[in-house]
Amino acid sequence: MQKQRTYLFFLGLILLSSFAIVRQNKASVVMKLLTTKTDFEVGQTVILQFSNTQEADKPLLYCSNSYGSTLITSTIKNNTLEYVIPENITKKIGVINWTILNANKSLSGTLHILPKAEVATMETYIGPPSIEAGGTDYTMLVVIPTDSLDNPVPKNTLVNEKHQFLSSEETHDIFTDKLIAYRNIYSKKESGRMLVSSESLGINSKEFTINVMPAIPTGFTISATRPHNYSDGNQITTFTTSIIKDEHNNVVSDGTFVTFFITNQEQYVLKTTGTTIDGVATSKMIHPDYADTWSIKAYVDGMSESNSITLSYKQVIEDFEVAFSEKNRLITVGPLQSFMQQMIPDGLHIKLKIYKDNILVETLTKTSFNGYTTFKLKPAIYSHGNYDFSLETAGVAKQFKTIKLW
Amino acid sequence: MVSINKNIMRTILIASYIMLVALIISGVSALFSYLNTGADRSKMLHTEIKKVEQYLPTINWEPLQNEGRPMDNENLNALQNDYLDAWYVKQIAYKTNKTAGIKDYYTDSARENLFAFIDLNKAQDITIEATTLKHNPTLEFFSEDGQMAVITDRNVIEYKRVFKANKLVLETTETSTYQMVFLLEDGFWRIRHLVKEEADIYNKQPKQIAVDSLNIKGINYYPQANPWDMFGNAFSTDTIAKDFKIIKDAGLNSVRLFVQYEDFGKAAIDYKKVDKLKQTLDMAAANNLKVVLTLFDFYGDYNVMSWTLNQRHAEGIVNAVKDHKALLAWDIKNEPNLDFESRGKDNVIAWLDNMIDLVKEIDTVHPVTIGWSNTESATILKDKVDFISFHYYEDLEQLDEAITTMKKEIPNKPLVLQEFGMSSYSGLWKPFGSSDEDQANYHKKIQEQIAANKLQFMSWTLYDFTSVPNDVVGRLPWRKNTQKHFGFIDKNGTKKPAFKYITH
Repeated sequence: MQKQRTYLFFLGLILLSSFAIVRQNKASVVMKLLTTKTDFEVGQTVILQFSNTQEADKPLLYCSNSYGSTLITSTIKNNTLEYVIPENITKKIGVINWTILNANKSLSGTLHILPKAEVATMETYIGPPSIEAGGTDYTMLVVIPTDSLDNPVPKNTLVNEKHQFLSSEETHDIFTDKLIAYRNIYSKKESGRMLVSSESLGINSKEFTINVMPAIPTGFTISATRPHNYSDGNQITTFTTSIIKDEHNNVVSDGTFVTFFITNQEQYVLKTTGTTIDGVATSKMIHPDYADTWSIKAYVDGMSESNSITLSYKQVIEDFEVAFSEKNRLITVGPLQSFMQQMIPDGLHIKLKIYKDNILVETLTKTSFNGYTTFKLKPAIYSHGNYDFSLETAGVAKQFKTIKLW
Repeated sequence: MVSINKNIMRTILIASYIMLVALIISGVSALFSYLNTGADRSKMLHTEIKKVEQYLPTINWEPLQNEGRPMDNENLNALQNDYLDAWYVKQIAYKTNKTAGIKDYYTDSARENLFAFIDLNKAQDITIEATTLKHNPTLEFFSEDGQMAVITDRNVIEYKRVFKANKLVLETTETSTYQMVFLLEDGFWRIRHLVKEEADIYNKQPKQIAVDSLNIKGINYYPQANPWDMFGNAFSTDTIAKDFKIIKDAGLNSVRLFVQYEDFGKAAIDYKKVDKLKQTLDMAAANNLKVVLTLFDFYGDYNVMSWTLNQRHAEGIVNAVKDHKALLAWDIKNEPNLDFESRGKDNVIAWLDNMIDLVKEIDTVHPVTIGWSNTESATILKDKVDFISFHYYEDLEQLDEAITTMKKEIPNKPLVLQEFGMSSYSGLWKPFGSSDEDQANYHKKIQEQIAANKLQFMSWTLYDFTSVPNDVVGRLPWRKNTQKHFGFIDKNGTKKPAFKYITH
């Protein structure tokens, strides 16, 4: 009995002590972070070390940076647990947060991957690509200097903005903030091409070109040239603008569209257009074929207008002859003679109006050829009888009453 | 006879020949028309109307005070859409470890960083289910030509579940601040640089709401004619007013109503339904009844990718009625523990947990509960809810014991027996079912137990129903018919014997 008790007592003791050991083991499961450094330069190898714990199951480390999250397994070295942060995480700047995935997930922290003061590429954006001269319009240069690992550089990194325009070359200091550096580049009074580049920590961007376009045109004058001032319906009058400029004396861009409005005595409007080359736009209009006075004014639509000029055209044909033959059915008009008694150039319009019983039956229009034109009235259409005729050309009209066709 | 057979043969031959020719022609023409289709011009500029909303975290823009060009609404909208899409495709990519969609929302060099993570995680069989619940972006800079923008998104709330070999190893909610450079490329606002500036573990414990004055003596309510479709076309305020009067006159003080997820328009709230809900609450107020409103009825997908949509739904409903004087409490979900098996317990609990946070953030006045279907689940999230709700359809002999256990585990919160009842159905499909008398005895007994245990209660249900949708208990006729006879009042409007024991 006694023996048995002693035996049980010892057995109990052994059992208890085994519990005690287990307890102790559990109590020592306290991992501790050994790595004290929390700031690393981007690209450096980052290893998190923890005091070892004889723990058989090595817990995973969860870590997350700007772009994503992952789990890291550990290795044991010299009684410490080591977690090597993967390269794709350490090569991007920003905060890394981590947690040890042991039972209570109580170990966690953050690391900072700091940007390098190093520039490998200058990502440069500029826009708008064309601006207006005059000093109020501007283009914006945005620079994102990035390091060799494609990270933005630290805040307040110096960037030199450089631009050349005509005879001036300028450099301005700007500083990165919120990952970028930017500057507004204003136009000058002159138009032309502006070349822009930037530089940071010895690395230069490529060259960008900004077109400084002339501002909107101001008022201009127009003139007209013509071979003679007769209304022969044949020659051409050419209208020319003065050199059209903006308010800063820049010649407007080639291709500026100019519309010439011609108002005649009857208040009808003729329109002709041209585009500028070197600031001058030209446009043409055929002479009228009767005496007229034109008043001409040109516009750049919605922007500017010219003075108004007046042109007069003299009558070339004062009178013309008309002959009736072949039973009055053949009407010969001519000779039509111009200002030097020369035959009028081909193509003058002659209009024949035919009336029967004072009612307009037909209007026939023909053009002159070698100074003459003929109208043939077919018996099938114009039956026998008395007709009135009216002939008009070059603004002159002639009446013939009661001509008998048979 | 022979000639007939021949004719049949001929007919078959000719018919099959015609069929063959027709097939070949249709095949060739299909190929021809396929080769004639070209790129759709309208799609080149991405001007087509964008897809349905699939990612809708709360987004609160700080007032626009950006440097550079003044921002307009159209551009800000486009930027916001593409920014949220960038998050969405990233979440999908890390969930599946596939790169689909990434290239639309990250520039050439930025997408490399995502691809690196995908490769790394794929190699180690790590997947991450994540969503963002809240964004507070500030537009810092918008370039003059409208092609570049810088945004700082402060205190983004990110919920993540990390899996290793399909085993959940970490569930975490973080709050982070990101700074981003966007470039407008091919009609997409793409992320060029992404820098996490701050990160912390998010651990918000919403305030508990005092429930000392809570004294629920209520009933689960559906109208007799249109159960489970209360706010549909058959909605009638007269019926509801009449029923509420019966409930009030019976000595009860509250009703439990259900807001169905799809019926109320999912993420885009159907305000016509909300209007009907408000009218119902008005009726309750007129009859001095309080309302426990159960959200997300008939919803069973707890997928992390849908959380933002669910939250917009809850936000819409809660905002619409949180100031109504008839409102008593929010019941986040009816019997979510029944989805543990099919949807994953972790999923469901995480969903509930975050939904409680959201509801409590919007409504700081009304208490929140979850309608567990049994007493065992009642301890889940016990620290989050303001009072405990459970349903009991089991043997009444064991109720006292179950309550004792619960009270031990949850000593400090009121217990509400939110559903209980007995069907008085006995018929073809269930020959040995209970009678009206059995039902009356059941209610008599349970009311004694409720009184003895100082429980609050809501019984199931006022009426016998003539039709029960398949979604409720399935198609099986013995289940359906049983479900039809839980009422205190039969389908003809006659009070059953149990009505006497509707309260104690």
